[in-house]
Amino acid sequence: MSERATHMPHGRETSLEAPGRRPLPSGGEGGEGGEGDKGGDAAVGVAAAGPRHPAITQAWQRMRRNGTGMALVFIAPYVVLFFVFRIGPAAAGMVLSFGSYSINGTTHWEGLSNFHALFTDPLFWTSLRVTVVYTIIAVPLTVVVSLGMALLCTRSIRGIKVYRALYFLPVITSLVTSSVIWQWIYSSNGPANWFFESIGLGAVPWLSSNSMVLPSLSLMSVWTRFGFDMLILLAGLLAIPKEYTEAAMIDGASAWQTFWRVTLPQLRPALFFVVVLELIQSFQVFDVIYVMTRGGPGDASYSLVYLIYDQGFNFFNFGYASAAGVVLFAITLVVSLWQRWVFRGDGT
Amino acid sequence: MTTGIAPDLARRLAKRRSRRKLWAHLPLALVALLTIFPFYVMVILSTQNGQAISLPGSLFPVHFNLSAYLAAIQGGDVMRWALNTLIYAGVSVVLVLTFASFAAYAFAKKRFFGKTVLFWTFIAMLMVPYQLTLIPQFILVAKLGGIDTYWGLIVPTLANAQALFLMRQFISQVPDELIDAGRIDGAGEFRTFVQIVLPQTKPILATLGVFVFLWHWNDFLWPLVETRSPDHYVMTVGLYSLEAQNISLAITMAAAVITFLPIFFLYLVLQRYFIRSVAITGLK
Repeated sequence: MSERATHMPHGRETSLEAPGRRPLPSGGEGGEGGEGDKGGDAAVGVAAAGPRHPAITQAWQRMRRNGTGMALVFIAPYVVLFFVFRIGPAAAGMVLSFGSYSINGTTHWEGLSNFHALFTDPLFWTSLRVTVVYTIIAVPLTVVVSLGMALLCTRSIRGIKVYRALYFLPVITSLVTSSVIWQWIYSSNGPANWFFESIGLGAVPWLSSNSMVLPSLSLMSVWTRFGFDMLILLAGLLAIPKEYTEAAMIDGASAWQTFWRVTLPQLRPALFFVVVLELIQSFQVFDVIYVMTRGGPGDASYSLVYLIYDQGFNFFNFGYASAAGVVLFAITLVVSLWQRWVFRGDGT
Repeated sequence: MTTGIAPDLARRLAKRRSRRKLWAHLPLALVALLTIFPFYVMVILSTQNGQAISLPGSLFPVHFNLSAYLAAIQGGDVMRWALNTLIYAGVSVVLVLTFASFAAYAFAKKRFFGKTVLFWTFIAMLMVPYQLTLIPQFILVAKLGGIDTYWGLIVPTLANAQALFLMRQFISQVPDELIDAGRIDGAGEFRTFVQIVLPQTKPILATLGVFVFLWHWNDFLWPLVETRSPDHYVMTVGLYSLEAQNISLAITMAAAVITFLPIFFLYLVLQRYFIRSVAITGLK
């Protein structure tokens, strides 16, 4: 390593340590090597002045031994990007929910007025209701279909790999592409109605009626999601030792009993994972609604994320939209913590 | 005496299995048909430019022609959007993997002040919905003058916590002895990383690469707010704009096919990476 190269980490370190240290006071657990590193850190300030000073050389040697300097160079690009474009904006989003932002770039502190406006706005409650109803229909439907398909896919029959590969196709398709296709399928002269009419059930206003739009979107979400959920459940199913189910059968259990009493309890962690994932996904439904219904008819599919987008980028109510974002965050957090809590109780 | 029970059980099991095998095909095939149907619709409609839609006739390739593709490519900006998407996804893959693997190496194998807290801060951000960060991110990029530019589109998406997490898991399994051996042989930190650590991570790099590519290829919300001129649209935004403008169904579907085909071919070639990447990262 050249003399020049050894200097680099010195110079960079001062700027790098700052983001690393920031979370410390709240976190409390600073890492075991904290004391030793601090010595090296203190020396950095003088490093530029006299690199040949023995104390500094010593500090540098120590850092070099445990690789601190180089480590900071390695994490620098990632840390900077993450703080500037992820953590910073997330924090700003929370701050902004207590303020207002005008196009000329000024921010005003508004206290709780955004939340007050949000909680007294019927549109917010509509968006929350739409999101919850969509979730209540879409999640169980998707999970049940996925579970059924996963069970069918455990059979070692010919062509099973082809089936599985096909089921996965909607997962890799962009939701915009899927929406464009399904909008036609659901259109009044589309194949869905053609099918319903030809079996004598009559046309259904799939996307154009207040009561049908959410079930229709949920049905489509089964198509877009089941290939993925099925894969996770399938992995869970294949991990269950064969002896368990065979033992149950030796004891005379029917296939149904074996499923309920043996397979399902064993599958709980995978099933739970899928449910949590689907909950979070459903609560953030946006692309499909934006392309297919734009929140309509009326506001029958005006979801929470659609509200954030609409208020933020159509009306430029950045403070109000951020307050809605905080509500979404709170809901996501509750689901995530619930997941943590269940998994801890499980010991899994 | 045991011979009496075992064959009976074996027969019962075998019978149950073979009966199931036959019946299993029926629902599997039915669901496969339902899964494929929308793709079939997409392709078949794209080949019937200028034809009135009537069911079920329109579902058969009677008026097969490819003029919609020609119209989409010549008239619209479809090829431009495809190129933009390729740049968005391609550049992001390279940069995400580079930054994440460098950082992951430090997090896995180095000691530095605040490492644990920093790492878990990143991971905790996975719980914060993207939609909360969207508006400040937009304001930030706008202030930096990045709206409707390539860098403004790409740079904010590079800090990928999942990539960091998975890379760190993987790199921490690379034996320390291997790294030390490199150092003893006189390799510098950078060479040790590139020549010793990185080759060990090839499987996870491929998996993550596919994940990041797929995610960017299908991304909609960020490009939707970030891009303004049709010249800078990505495929998803462009496809939406066609749909919103009531361009003919055949041309819209042709654009949908063009959006889907690259991912489809990639999936055919790299199927196992696709499945693994979606399975380990947990999110679409």
